[in-house]
Amino acid sequence: MPIRDTFWNIPHWAEIAQYVAAFLTMAIFVAGVVRRVLRWRQGRAEKRSGNFWQRIWSLVIQVFAQRRTLDETFPGIMHFSIFWGMLVLAIGTAFATVDWDVTHLFFGFQILTGWFYIVFELMLDILGLLAVLGLGMAIQRRYGTRPARLQNFPVKKLAGDDLYVLVMLSFIVLSGYLTEGLRLAVTQPPWAVWSPIGNAIAAFFLSLGDPTNQTLHLVIWSLHILTAFGALLSIPFTKLFHILSVPTNIYFRSLEPAGKLPAANMENGAGVKEWKQFTWKQLLDFESCTRCGRCQDVCPAYASSQILSPRNMMVKLDAHIWNNGHALHGDVISADELWACTTCRACVQVCPAFIDHVTTFVDMRRHLVDQGSMDKMLQDALANLGRYGNSFGQSERMRAKWTQGVQPAVKDARREAVEYLWFVGDYASYSATLTDITRKTADVFQKTGLNFGILFDAERNAGNDVRRVGEEGLFEMLADKNSQALAKCKFETIVTTDPHTYNTLKNEYAWNGNRPNILHYAELLDQLIASGRIKFSKKLGYKVTYHDPCYLGRYNGIYDAPRRVIEATGCELVEMPRNRDCAFCCGAGGGRIWMDEKDVKERPSESRIREAIALAGVQAFVVACPKDLTMYRDAVKTTGNEKDMLVKDLIELVYEAL
Amino acid sequence: MKIAVPVKFVPDLVEELTIDSGGTALDTSWLRLIINEFDDHAVEQAILLKERGGGQVIVAMSEAEGADDFLFASAAKGADQLIKLTGDFSASNNHALARAYADLLKELQPDLILTGVQAHNDLDGSVGPLLAEYLGMPYVGYVSGLTVAGDKVTVRKEYAGGLIAEMEVNLPAVLGIQAAEQPPRYVAYSKIRQVMGTAKIEERVVADLDLSGGITVSRMFQPEVAERATMIEGSPEEVADKIIGILKELGTL
Repeated sequence: MPIRDTFWNIPHWAEIAQYVAAFLTMAIFVAGVVRRVLRWRQGRAEKRSGNFWQRIWSLVIQVFAQRRTLDETFPGIMHFSIFWGMLVLAIGTAFATVDWDVTHLFFGFQILTGWFYIVFELMLDILGLLAVLGLGMAIQRRYGTRPARLQNFPVKKLAGDDLYVLVMLSFIVLSGYLTEGLRLAVTQPPWAVWSPIGNAIAAFFLSLGDPTNQTLHLVIWSLHILTAFGALLSIPFTKLFHILSVPTNIYFRSLEPAGKLPAANMENGAGVKEWKQFTWKQLLDFESCTRCGRCQDVCPAYASSQILSPRNMMVKLDAHIWNNGHALHGDVISADELWACTTCRACVQVCPAFIDHVTTFVDMRRHLVDQGSMDKMLQDALANLGRYGNSFGQSERMRAKWTQGVQPAVKDARREAVEYLWFVGDYASYSATLTDITRKTADVFQKTGLNFGILFDAERNAGNDVRRVGEEGLFEMLADKNSQALAKCKFETIVTTDPHTYNTLKNEYAWNGNRPNILHYAELLDQLIASGRIKFSKKLGYKVTYHDPCYLGRYNGIYDAPRRVIEATGCELVEMPRNRDCAFCCGAGGGRIWMDEKDVKERPSESRIREAIALAGVQAFVVACPKDLTMYRDAVKTTGNEKDMLVKDLIELVYEAL
Repeated sequence: MKIAVPVKFVPDLVEELTIDSGGTALDTSWLRLIINEFDDHAVEQAILLKERGGGQVIVAMSEAEGADDFLFASAAKGADQLIKLTGDFSASNNHALARAYADLLKELQPDLILTGVQAHNDLDGSVGPLLAEYLGMPYVGYVSGLTVAGDKVTVRKEYAGGLIAEMEVNLPAVLGIQAAEQPPRYVAYSKIRQVMGTAKIEERVVADLDLSGGITVSRMFQPEVAERATMIEGSPEEVADKIIGILKELGTL
């Protein structure tokens, strides 16, 4: 009967030695993990428990099914193969240990016998091949194709860490196959055909003849055992630690809305000055980074100037929490890196380890703001926002100036009850080049018979980007003033054309637990079209593309409503290669629109326009955000595409098709 | 080193200015006040001096809407003592303000007084020189940097045409600040809020304002559009002839 011949050819002393090595490995492994956990616990407290089953489910999807890792084909299949190959081999080994050291030792029987053993052998033999395939792909990728994102490390010695992992895993798998092959070559059991790979290797070794094979078997077995234990005990000290840290990080990921930034640390100054002011979860983020560089590939700041790489930030922060004597701000992370972030969240969206880079950057910006350290443009913008409630430095009395001449007069929501309270936002109110669009929006609302009003001079900047700049106190002040003004009005729904305003009103304002219905105008238009309140008289017939604003798309998941509106106006929608959650940021978010540009090679907005220009026959670039209009109208000019591409607000299509 | 910074608010030009019905003053009902930009630089310069060489910074101003916010913001930047003069300043002028500050400063006895070199609403001269006169101290204006050494201060004064003079002044002295050595810093709202919990604003009542020496406004008005410009065309000789003709006509030649 087939049975697992455990410790065949292994002298008793080697078997004993293996157990000693196993216990030593365990001890070092545990000590290493404890060392890491103690370090995380030096961070600030942050509650991440609750929703147990939801968290377990994300482990199933993201760890075992490798959902997000598989978003990229080659690296996805590569990692999936290594993961499942190694996991099955590890489980198989654990099973064999139980079989021999528990059931056989104490109860005198083995599980791994008969047909069950045959299946076991077959499974391990085949799935081991999966690991070989994955490791081969990894070696090819890292040392053959060498994509840019796997190069430029800020910490050079980590290249050794990457090599170590590939060498160790490859050696473990290959030496395992060799050991098996040599054993089968000598013992030649009738069931050897069920280990096809091992059997093929056995056929090769058969030519060498016994006892050479037995000696070779013992040598390779010993090396296999030593490498396996070596790899195991090195887990908490090398890149292999991601095997533990990434699932932990995924388990403890934030389940709050993406658009809700955690409150600032206020102990010893606002924000994060020293690494211990990060929360334990942020420290865990740093330790979960495998340096894959997917974030760097999608980062608009990296693409435009290379000042900021989210990957490098994580690498440097991880190195920093283990190295004393450097200042977090200045030595490790520069202010330029922090200010370069547009908070577009593309990095967070693609990270297979579920790292939240943006909250870390904002926490560090909060310290810079606390120190008053920022560029002059931003300082002026914040001073204006504090004093006048808008970044333009104009009087709040001028906020509703665009309504002059709009007939019938726009209602004052402070004086009469309205169904829709239109929160207009700074750019739509003050920017001289945008008021035309704002009036068109009012016109569409009026033609639709919408009962709407605005706050006039009581409206303040909603504070979304003030918060992301790191000026938490100013955000709170603006939010307080808006909340007080809104509390005095009677309305059912808030509507805004600005995704940034939309995000903070929806996700960050307190509303005393009684949040009103909040809509982006794309959603409202979509509803009005669906219910038949908006009826179009013509089909526009333009070929257009649509740009997803970060704070509407990635942050709030609204992708379909604006697309339905575009199609309802009779336009043909052609998608850019980077669309929906992969949309490329215009470069204005997170307060970037108030900052000096510094050295840019290609502005994110220019890259985006070139992406649209490359689509055959597209006449218009449709946006659903006032800042986008500003950014892209500039970009079509600076890229010399003014004649070939119109930048249109969604409302312009609706207005024209009415 | 005790540094006093008397400052004042001026009309914020972000709002449209209107003349009141009397025609001699601004209509205050729409007026919004803001710190005089040069005074803001004076506060910054005082904080820089304190950071460099230690000492104590006193910021004083007269009562106005937003005065508390400004004083707390100064404290958040590093000012140690906040003083608000209360009383009826509605008819005040710079002479009266300088006398009120002088009374306060005689009591406080600072080593150095920094104030903004000018303000856009200075109708009767700027505060600095008046203050120096009332206190009997030396005054240097248009200062854009200074170094204190013992009982002397070396100041950098800007002249037209890009000239800069360095001069030594005996302390105590009044300096009119043109620009601080770095732009006024940003102070986070959370810091101001923290300071509000701990800092105190001392209120000093100014009973009588002495307006003497000031000016009387007979008429205040918006720039008026005049249509007196005439374009003279022709060769240089012809233009010169025509100009001479016009001047003769006006009786100036």
